[in-house]
Amino acid sequence: MTTDIRALLLVPPAAELPEGKALPISPALLDVAGATPLQRMAERLTRQSANAAIALVSANALPQSCVVAPENLEYRLASPRQFWRAAEDVFNEMVEAGAEQVLVISLRQYAEVDIDGLVRFHLERKGQVTQVSHGADVLDIFCVSGSRRNDAAVLFRSHLAEDRGHCQFFHHDGYVRPLATARDLRQFAIDILTLKTETQPAFEQIRPGVWAGPDALIEKGARVLAPAFIGAFAKVRAGAVITRCSAIEHHAEIDCGTVVENSTVLPYSCVGAGLDLAHSVVGTGRIDNLRRNVIAEIADPKLIHYVSPASFGRLRRSAFDFVTYLPRQAWRGLFGTSQPQPVRQEPQPRPASPAGPAREMEPSAEFPANLAVVRRYGHQ
Amino acid sequence: MPARVDARTAREFLRDVQPFLTIDRPQLVFDLSQVVRLDAAGVEMLLHCMSQAHRRDGDLKLASLSPQSAVVLELTRTERLFEIYDSCTDAIRSFSGFLPNAMRLQLLDRRHPPTATAA
Repeated sequence: MTTDIRALLLVPPAAELPEGKALPISPALLDVAGATPLQRMAERLTRQSANAAIALVSANALPQSCVVAPENLEYRLASPRQFWRAAEDVFNEMVEAGAEQVLVISLRQYAEVDIDGLVRFHLERKGQVTQVSHGADVLDIFCVSGSRRNDAAVLFRSHLAEDRGHCQFFHHDGYVRPLATARDLRQFAIDILTLKTETQPAFEQIRPGVWAGPDALIEKGARVLAPAFIGAFAKVRAGAVITRCSAIEHHAEIDCGTVVENSTVLPYSCVGAGLDLAHSVVGTGRIDNLRRNVIAEIADPKLIHYVSPASFGRLRRSAFDFVTYLPRQAWRGLFGTSQPQPVRQEPQPRPASPAGPAREMEPSAEFPANLAVVRRYGHQ
Repeated sequence: MPARVDARTAREFLRDVQPFLTIDRPQLVFDLSQVVRLDAAGVEMLLHCMSQAHRRDGDLKLASLSPQSAVVLELTRTERLFEIYDSCTDAIRSFSGFLPNAMRLQLLDRRHPPTATAA
């Protein structure tokens, strides 16, 4: 007897993290070694018990340009305020369509749960709600019987934090990775590239430990050291070095001479030439430096810039660059001050030492009065 | 240094420090504690100041790097070119080996004031 099992994948509004720590896009929707955690979970469900899956994504979890439906599941958006209400509605919709068991999976973590085992456990125990536990913790992964709408309502209204006391626990001791911060994302990439997970990097290995997507360009003179991942349409220019579990996602670009070590470059991000990127996640105009635990916004396109995902936008930009190249070069030659200009001075008698005028200044407790303080800047 | 160091503010800052770069043996410390945004023009300005100081047998040191400026200096591989200190005081003290004797004696007196002795 086959059971109609459906899955509801939730990408909820970003969890409350210290200011600036949360990524601007939900990690569940960011490519990690060629596929998002959402896609990986959907594939896992498709391979195992689930007949159909719906992914419900909070509207503020991603910018509009990234709304692309994965191929193997139905994709829906909900406003952050109505998210959990929408989740309840989707659950009811699945039940009315004939679902006997519904897997409710929140993508605040990625867990390689044995779905078949979970469903079997749930059915054998004639459970109403079964939650997955991992060690002493519980995961936001549930199997809910279709007839238990009230239990589902309590779950969704409490944001998966509470149940009506009918919950039993299915123990999972496999792979689990939280998905909240850039550090989680980076560690997930490392785990995939070092084959610690059942899910594997997308695409084929071009040599042992190096995966590359279709139309990935690795120029002559670039070095890619295993394990590493180069996404589809990504470019690694001559002289660049990609090393230590780095992942260059699709449409990203690493310019000449740049070293990328233990870092993730998110889609459509370009890293400038001659740079040294280490222990970081780069994308959406910022660098999350994991070693220093710092987020730095980068507005300078010579360092890092973001390319429009729309192909028309890229084509338009390329055409604009082509047409304006000569006029820009002429302008720079005539008027450009790209280098700080040395100040030319007439030979003069040796100027007074800064120690002289500084004596007139108010002595600072920090600095001796015989040292000049050029300029102090307050909060700007 | 200002909070944002881009092409425009870097030019203004360079104008401000230019008189100190042209003296004999300039000894400069730039405090980067307020810097929240540093771009390639800012890094270029720092390198220019350092090369100007070296040309006159002086030096430029950086102090109190903000996390954001540290990330950008590491990214552009320029952090290894500067001496970087945790505080301006440490950076200034690192110059003390080159102070003229009069200044060194003044600093020593301030640290260890002469005690009165009984007649």
